[in-house]
Amino acid sequence: MVQRIVKPFAWLAFALVATLVVAACGSQPSGNTAVTFKGTKKVGYSAPLTGQSALYGHAVSQALNLAADDINAKGGVNGYKIEMDIQDDGTTVPQAVSNTKSMILQDNVVALMGSVTSAQCLAESPIAKQNKIITIDATCNSWQLTMEPDVVNPYWVSIVPNTYMEGTAAGRLAASLNLNKIFIVSPKYLFGISETNAFVAALKKANSSAQIVNDPSTWYVPFPTNPRWDSTINAIQAAKPDLVYSNIFAADQINFVKQALAVDPQFFVKYPMTTLVSVDELNSLGSQYPSGMHAYMRAPFFALQNNNPRLTDYITRYRARYSGEYPSDWAVMDYDALNIWAQAANAAKSFDADQVVKQISGHTFDSLRGYKITIRSNELQANVGETVGTTTTSSTYPFPVLKDSVNLKGDDLMMPLQMVNEIKGNQCDQTAGQPNTANFALCPSWKAG
Amino acid sequence: MTPGQLLLFAVGGLSNAAYLFIVAAGLSLVFGALRVINMAHGSIYMIAAFVTVVIANQLGAGLGFWGGLLVAVAVTGAIGGIIEVLVLRRVYGREHLVQLLGTYAVSLVIAGGVRIVFGANYRTVVSPIPGHIDVGGYSYASYSLFMIAAAIVIAVGVWAMLYRTNLGRNIRAAVADPDLLNATGVDVTRLYTTVFVIGAGLAGLGGAIVAPSQAISSSIDTDVLVLAFAISVIGGLGSIVGSGIGALIVGMVISFGLVIPATNPYALAFVFIIMTAVLIVRPRGLFGRPES
Repeated sequence: MVQRIVKPFAWLAFALVATLVVAACGSQPSGNTAVTFKGTKKVGYSAPLTGQSALYGHAVSQALNLAADDINAKGGVNGYKIEMDIQDDGTTVPQAVSNTKSMILQDNVVALMGSVTSAQCLAESPIAKQNKIITIDATCNSWQLTMEPDVVNPYWVSIVPNTYMEGTAAGRLAASLNLNKIFIVSPKYLFGISETNAFVAALKKANSSAQIVNDPSTWYVPFPTNPRWDSTINAIQAAKPDLVYSNIFAADQINFVKQALAVDPQFFVKYPMTTLVSVDELNSLGSQYPSGMHAYMRAPFFALQNNNPRLTDYITRYRARYSGEYPSDWAVMDYDALNIWAQAANAAKSFDADQVVKQISGHTFDSLRGYKITIRSNELQANVGETVGTTTTSSTYPFPVLKDSVNLKGDDLMMPLQMVNEIKGNQCDQTAGQPNTANFALCPSWKAG
Repeated sequence: MTPGQLLLFAVGGLSNAAYLFIVAAGLSLVFGALRVINMAHGSIYMIAAFVTVVIANQLGAGLGFWGGLLVAVAVTGAIGGIIEVLVLRRVYGREHLVQLLGTYAVSLVIAGGVRIVFGANYRTVVSPIPGHIDVGGYSYASYSLFMIAAAIVIAVGVWAMLYRTNLGRNIRAAVADPDLLNATGVDVTRLYTTVFVIGAGLAGLGGAIVAPSQAISSSIDTDVLVLAFAISVIGGLGSIVGSGIGALIVGMVISFGLVIPATNPYALAFVFIIMTAVLIVRPRGLFGRPES
């Protein structure tokens, strides 16, 4: 048997190095001042780092890491350093559910950031609710998440314009164009259906002569879809509409636009389009993205940075940290999301969801968007706005921007309180007693209006 | 539906079928010759798409694209050779589950590598064949017509390789009895490597051809794999003719299924209903041969 010789000085040196390493990891320097933390608390985010919405997950993850560092530089939350726990969900519901469970039960996260798709959020919400973990949601946005009685989670806060607000903005935008034959294309899941219904309702309210030319059963395409969009493009050619309304997004929108332009470079001149878009789609297609698209966007930095030094500073720091990338809408909104949670948790002096929600509900927060955000208590929805305009080439950025952009105010888009209460009171169900059939267009106050 | 619309949707179905066939051809060839279900096929296709986009964007859409296509086929063929030598040789003759796990592991490694090398951003490239053709008041993309032509050329090329060359004769002999073929002096080990390199090269060709028509990201490997397997199962795994017929069925079902109101909600489901029906009635697929 070989006897090992232990060298005391070698062990001493090892112990010294290990101590220094641990000490270095335990505190975070901030400028010239070292901040000492009581420990570390994790905030979870199930991210689509792969799959259909990978680009969004990429932007959100970067924004959240930057926000966490900024929060830590100011002393963290309740004396704790904040660390992001980001797990890839591949833009799938089962993996988002699995991630949520592991983040809550194994990683002991103190808060969650909402995932990208409404289908994922719908599945995550009950888990977060059961475990009493607050979720700040800045991306998935179906109004059902905060209003439908069987879905409502008292710890779910939405700081993204919901599908009612966004569909209303899109419907008014389309109506303002005075075009009558509308073709609809939308992803077939909660978000698409919810937003399309709001669009149609708002459009018909503002322009009663508008007609949807394709049958309702053909409004929706499978999500995530086959990358080929021949069927939809050909159906548009066959229907010859005055306007196409679309809320397809991410890879789907890029593929659709590319393939439509291949069919005819004048496709979107012949068939103008009102569409949901974000900086990510504009940036991905760059000069290939058509001008003249009637776009509605959630938080485009280029339309929100006038007289907004906080956003300008954020853009500078984001680009410096992430190889010159511009922050997408998601990067703006999720930065706000983590900061709102941190501010509320600090005010509550607690990580307990009940205490933190008390500091959010009805409260007002600063935002990168250049205006203050107030979270309405009834459904924990922020009065965030939507930006509308027409795409045009830019001499400043390597992608199109919006000309004549208008930043619509959230207060003008939010669902009237009476309707919120009617939905929560099961007065808007298509099938009585089944809250998952709730449709705001069936609410007594909507019908009366 | 007017005759013009019928033609429009039929060409749409053909475009879709061409896209799926181009992706599935290599998958089918590899299974036919090696009896390996290659879960990394989509990953190889994805690498080719990235290589093509990067080169085309560096050198310009015209020459850059065609140069990129050649490089992509060469690169993916080489990667295929490495995979065959390092992984597949260890799983030939083993049960399919082991092969599935082996190639799935390769796909995960490639997916991670692609994300590190190419990042998360979508990449796009301008079509090397711009323009469109107008017929009966409707427009058809020149590049879609090129894809249809490319699918036909690939189908004929693979068929000719299998049935009109010595290599093809050896491949078919290896499927029937590899030991006997070995006894005649043919190096079956090298033959298998050659087949996998050709299969990977076909995946690469598919990725390169598809690149100008869609956003290229690190998830396109899985986007296409499910439908590619569906058409291979319908047509018969291992049969190039079967893959062509399977792609045609799936392409048309999706094209017409999505535009007809009554069938729209079930358009994608029909694909898998057909696949299930084929599996029940003819488990080896429409043109597949039973495994000996």
